[in-house]
Amino acid sequence: MTPLCENNAGNNQRYISRRDFWFKAGMGIGGVALVDLLARDGLLAAEPASGPGSCLGSAGITDSPYLPKPPHFKPRAKSVIHLFMSGGVSHIDTFDYKPALEKYHGVALAGGIAGVGGDGEIIVRQGYPGPLMKSPFKFKQHGQSGSWVSELFPHMSTIVDDLAFIHSATGKSNDHVLSHYEWNTGMILMGFPSVGAWVTYGLGSENGNLPAYVVLYDHRGGPFSGPTNWHAGFLPAAYQGTVFRPVGDPILDLKPDAQYSSVEEERRKLDALASINQNHAEKHPGVSDLSARISSYELAYRMQGCAPEAIDISQESEETKQLYGLNDRVTAPFGRQCLMARRLVERGVRFVQLYSGAIVNQNVDTWDAHGNIMENHTMHAAEVDKPITGLITDLKRRGLIDETVVLWQSEFGRMPVSQRALGRDHNPGAQTVWMCGGGIQGGQHIGASDEVGYQAAEQIIWNHDIHASLLHLLGLDHKRLTYYFNGRNMRLTDVHGELIPQIVGATGKETATA
Amino acid sequence: MTRSEAGRLGLALALAFLSCVLAVPPLAAQAAEVTGKDVLPILQKNCFQCHGADLRMANLDLRTPEAILQGGDSGPALVPGSAEESLIYARVSGQGQPQMPMAPLPALSGHDILVLKKWIDQGASWNAADSARADTQAPGDKANASYDEYVERVITDEMRQWWAFQKPVRHPTPKIADSRWSANPVDAFVRAAMDAKGLTPAPQADRNTLIRRAYLDLTGLLPTPEQVDAFVNDASPRAYEALVERLLASDHYGERWGRFWLDVVRYADSSGFEHDRTLQTAWRYRDYVIKALNEDKPYNQFLIEQIAGDELDEPTDDSLIATAYYRVGPRVRFREKANPHYRYDYMDDMIRTTFQGFMGMSVHCARCHDHKFDPITRMDYYRTVGMFYGHVSYDHLLGPKEEAQEWSRRKKEVLRAIAPLEKAIAEIEAPYKRQEFEERLKRLPEDVQIAVRTPKEARTRGQELLASQFERNLDSGDEDAAGMGIDLGKIVFAASDNVDYRTSALPGGALEFAKKSAAANGRPLAPAGQRQGGFKPSPEDQQKIKALRDQIAALEETVPELPPAIEGVRDGDYRLAPNGPGDNLQPGQYDPAFGKIENTSYVPEPGQKFVVPPVHFTANGMVVEEDIKAPVVEPGFVTVLAKGDEAVARPPDRDDYVSSGRRRALAEWIASDENPLTARVLVNRLWYWHFGKGIVATPGNFGKMGVPPSHPELLDWLATEFIRQGWSIKQMQRLLMNSETYKMASSFYDADNIEKDPTDTFLWRYPVRRLEGETIRDVILSASGQINLEAGGEAFYPAIPDSVREGYQAGRWILTKEGPETWRRSIYSYWKRGMKLPMFEVHDQPDPNVTTEKRNISTVSTQALTLLNSEFTLLQARHLADRVVREAPADLSAQVKRLYRITISRAPSERELAFALKFLNEERELLAIRISASDAVDGVERNAAQAALTNFAHVMLNTNEFLYFN
Repeated sequence: MTPLCENNAGNNQRYISRRDFWFKAGMGIGGVALVDLLARDGLLAAEPASGPGSCLGSAGITDSPYLPKPPHFKPRAKSVIHLFMSGGVSHIDTFDYKPALEKYHGVALAGGIAGVGGDGEIIVRQGYPGPLMKSPFKFKQHGQSGSWVSELFPHMSTIVDDLAFIHSATGKSNDHVLSHYEWNTGMILMGFPSVGAWVTYGLGSENGNLPAYVVLYDHRGGPFSGPTNWHAGFLPAAYQGTVFRPVGDPILDLKPDAQYSSVEEERRKLDALASINQNHAEKHPGVSDLSARISSYELAYRMQGCAPEAIDISQESEETKQLYGLNDRVTAPFGRQCLMARRLVERGVRFVQLYSGAIVNQNVDTWDAHGNIMENHTMHAAEVDKPITGLITDLKRRGLIDETVVLWQSEFGRMPVSQRALGRDHNPGAQTVWMCGGGIQGGQHIGASDEVGYQAAEQIIWNHDIHASLLHLLGLDHKRLTYYFNGRNMRLTDVHGELIPQIVGATGKETATA
Repeated sequence: MTRSEAGRLGLALALAFLSCVLAVPPLAAQAAEVTGKDVLPILQKNCFQCHGADLRMANLDLRTPEAILQGGDSGPALVPGSAEESLIYARVSGQGQPQMPMAPLPALSGHDILVLKKWIDQGASWNAADSARADTQAPGDKANASYDEYVERVITDEMRQWWAFQKPVRHPTPKIADSRWSANPVDAFVRAAMDAKGLTPAPQADRNTLIRRAYLDLTGLLPTPEQVDAFVNDASPRAYEALVERLLASDHYGERWGRFWLDVVRYADSSGFEHDRTLQTAWRYRDYVIKALNEDKPYNQFLIEQIAGDELDEPTDDSLIATAYYRVGPRVRFREKANPHYRYDYMDDMIRTTFQGFMGMSVHCARCHDHKFDPITRMDYYRTVGMFYGHVSYDHLLGPKEEAQEWSRRKKEVLRAIAPLEKAIAEIEAPYKRQEFEERLKRLPEDVQIAVRTPKEARTRGQELLASQFERNLDSGDEDAAGMGIDLGKIVFAASDNVDYRTSALPGGALEFAKKSAAANGRPLAPAGQRQGGFKPSPEDQQKIKALRDQIAALEETVPELPPAIEGVRDGDYRLAPNGPGDNLQPGQYDPAFGKIENTSYVPEPGQKFVVPPVHFTANGMVVEEDIKAPVVEPGFVTVLAKGDEAVARPPDRDDYVSSGRRRALAEWIASDENPLTARVLVNRLWYWHFGKGIVATPGNFGKMGVPPSHPELLDWLATEFIRQGWSIKQMQRLLMNSETYKMASSFYDADNIEKDPTDTFLWRYPVRRLEGETIRDVILSASGQINLEAGGEAFYPAIPDSVREGYQAGRWILTKEGPETWRRSIYSYWKRGMKLPMFEVHDQPDPNVTTEKRNISTVSTQALTLLNSEFTLLQARHLADRVVREAPADLSAQVKRLYRITISRAPSERELAFALKFLNEERELLAIRISASDAVDGVERNAAQAALTNFAHVMLNTNEFLYFN
């Protein structure tokens, strides 16, 4: 039987602590022994974490949902950096060059060009579609692959041979929020676990001292639909994304406010707490949850040292900072996010998600270029171009690129027709997504949109396909990564998902053999 | 059409399919060789339903020749080369018994039998490609099959035999020798199961543990040390019983148990999705739930009111409020008319919540194909849609009828009076707008200017599109407000979220963040109100406009205050709905794709004809024109549970109200004594909420994908008892709370038990488990003594750090500070779909977008961080320390004892006391340095002794003994 058919409300086996495992294996041990175990593993009254060395790995951690779990088969990569451009990047003004738009500039899309757009009306989000509009940006070919890139991305155009472009990514909704759900959780409705939550449920983390799934959003604020993008849905809360803030303490409530307490006091409180909890656990032998909770406090304490260290970019060289554009007011904010992302995956964090775009002043602060594609995209491209290029370059030179998958995308592309003469409305029919690292062959162009970029035309790629491929690169079979919820063994890819052969490469057969 | 007629429709479809198959010339029968390719469709059509991917009756799988050879319980089904010796042939040809397919399924046609015989006689050849095809699903299973491809799965008697579809039987109570376990029937069943497994039950917990457990469980609050003492010292043999009675009678009971129900009905205070609008009256529904539980409203009545409170013969304010059940789910609330598929998603939400929540049935799984595991067909799904389809969103006015009518009358009058005034303003403004447009046009690209200046008839199609974008708002005014008008008097709130938090300067409104962000971008934010357009009428015209506006304002003031209302539902025609946010149909228009509509208004008035809009099979709202081509499905009940003669409609017996009565028929069917699931599902939920695990471990799924009951006879006994007790929830809780099972100690250990039942499935000890996030917050406040017990009313906004709001700015949230007004019980806090309170979020607050089957209980360091470092806990630790000093001023020992008794309802042991005193003394010395160096905090000087006690109080709030049911 396939896992989907198993009658099993308890098969959420990837949320099993080491101790539960022993119990299930019939090796019950008493509470006294448990506490011994904690002490032996050096977890009780651990030394305060001080340097990066003590913040690496999961040594000494006996009981945490973040403990590494074996993949289904040999993985190609260990971690993911997800670069999400919120608001809708225009594919036809960036990576999907459409010379036909120059020819058809000013012509109605519906009924205007044979084979494209159909005869009916073009439905656009805000109504009142304009005629086709050429890109205001100049395109040139770059790299050995001869990839077309517009002048919006002068830096990224230098690394095109490292990127695999998917030009036929397609979505189901022209609504920002539903599309954010679609790409971040697999489902168009609210309430489903995010990709990062699935990945950390599946694999745990390489570093028990930091959250397994970290989110760094735009310095101006959160993206469309906010925390729903990174929440754990029906998975245990442990797998939800933890927001790291760029200034001050990175994690909410990481440290006590000075007006109430101090870290030194906290250490003393934790020692007293461990002792009291230990006595309590001894009175309740065989209740693994109690000892898991004792561990969680020690991990929280370690996190207090390790989280700030992980994103402390002052430790980086001047050269590195410049590589990410930290010396420039425009590129510095996203540059910091990118540099932190590198530091986090370097430390074994499983999934890092970055957002460009905040919904505060929606049409200004996100890529949502309804009114003026030129103004909007010029501003946002300049903010991310150098930092992203710096990130890829840095990952490469540090040898991290092979074990890290970078996924760049937006929630949808934009319409080839104009809106209010200068802007473009939402277009879920096609967007360009690129992936990089994890052994993915760079310089590829996968799939294609139609002549004007209105809809995906060749090798149509859905969110499920990208999710299935992403899991595959991490050694997870998207059909076997399940969690029982409300009567079904749920999957990130629901009942869909085809591996993208050009992304998973020759190793695409691993699923069958494992 | 009745249900059986609808069944005939399904049958008609099935026949259409069969005739298609039969129309194929009987080539195979004559052909020289018959292969798997010929046989496969016959097996697929006739056999796979019971011997295929989903079901293997008699352990027989007929999908591959290997599997057929292997056979099932009766042995190999196939002897290649000899049909006469093959069981499969014998059974389908009528030569062997029982004949297959089993009645009522139709027998194989003579043609098919012949093909099968030839195939076997010729050696039963089969190639790999046939096997691959055999894995494809039977027609009813095919996802998104169109209506002419669809064949409804036949529901067999065998399918009806599933345990949960049988009416619960009241089994005799097992005889138990041990008198401790024989008095309460619940105990007798539990003990019998334990005995069968050779498990030893735990002894009774001590009284301190029991009172704490009972308080937490029934009220979610802590007992005071005095209440603990009184109980511990109560010599009456009925002391515990009396305690349970007191707690069941407490108003705080509903505040804890209401929360669980709100989980089931996926309650939240905001709509979710992009706009996450405030559901302005949802709190009345939340209060209704609390009140219903406190009053012990019979559960069957409670369900009927929620499903059909507006269709009763004599509805009450409460029963109307109950219909908000439909409205508190996730809703897009933007351009809903332009996206008719949303309605089908909302229907799905209602079906999922109702059937999974109340009956443990996943009917929603059959939306696109017949259910993969349970006998629920896709046609059943659409029958069920039909039962709900008559309802529309409707805001009921509450309170005295006369006041509501008077308000509606006045409101309509004023609206009528205002309309011409608005028009007059528009006329005055029109030339200025035109002038402004001309100015603006000059700044636009040349091709736009050319397009606009080209005479309409001479424009190319491209120019038409270009020009229309700029010309469309010339007459109607503000482009964003187009279509935002609402049909007041019928719908009070449907279209509104009165305060737009994107432009509101209220604390927590997005405006303040917008200003910050604009500064970060180096661009000043345009002040609110400037986007109305820059035209400036002449002074005289300004005067005229002002005079008109004053008139409008004066008229608006004459409308009496809005009576209390509830965003609930009633029957009507959704196709005629007034515009909501973002909708831009002209008033009175509806989408022509719907075709002819018989009804004349959104909600029928007495005397008006009303027919529920038709439900088309496979309709999903994606393309309405396509949807309405499919046959109409009549409403009905899920076939496997239906008797066939139930009425599908029970219209209210009232002259003043028109309604189809379908929801009432559904509600009465669900809440019927005869329904095998409803009572079982609820008693199982009660068990789950009391013990942390259900008798059925999957409280939302009593089907094949669920877990079978650990104590089936107990479950049935409880279900029958529940009905016998008039569906009284409290009566059942009385039974459970007073059982020995409930009163067992959690600290009991038995190596043999651990070996046999490590997960405590058979309840040999009381299960230790963490409190939910909301209860953790409540008991911390309960311990600190700062809890604000103000009950009911509009939701309050708990204090969150600004940074949390900064990450999510949609919809309403008012930023508040820690203080008594935010220290109310958690159930009254604003539940925002898009943003959870960090304290709840880290502690597995269930997602309010779907019905909650079970809450996760995970353990993760961010929980520790929240309880260690959030301002809330640190502040409450201080209040707790102050309370301790206030209540035990004598000395440090007395204070430690008091602290223990407040937080964990028992005195410290000598060892614990000594440990605490040592901590406090050391802490005081260490803190003296810091305290003397620092200034007063919050204007209050805290000395080192207070600070030390605060730290210890904080430790106690973090202990497992405090945060768990023990």
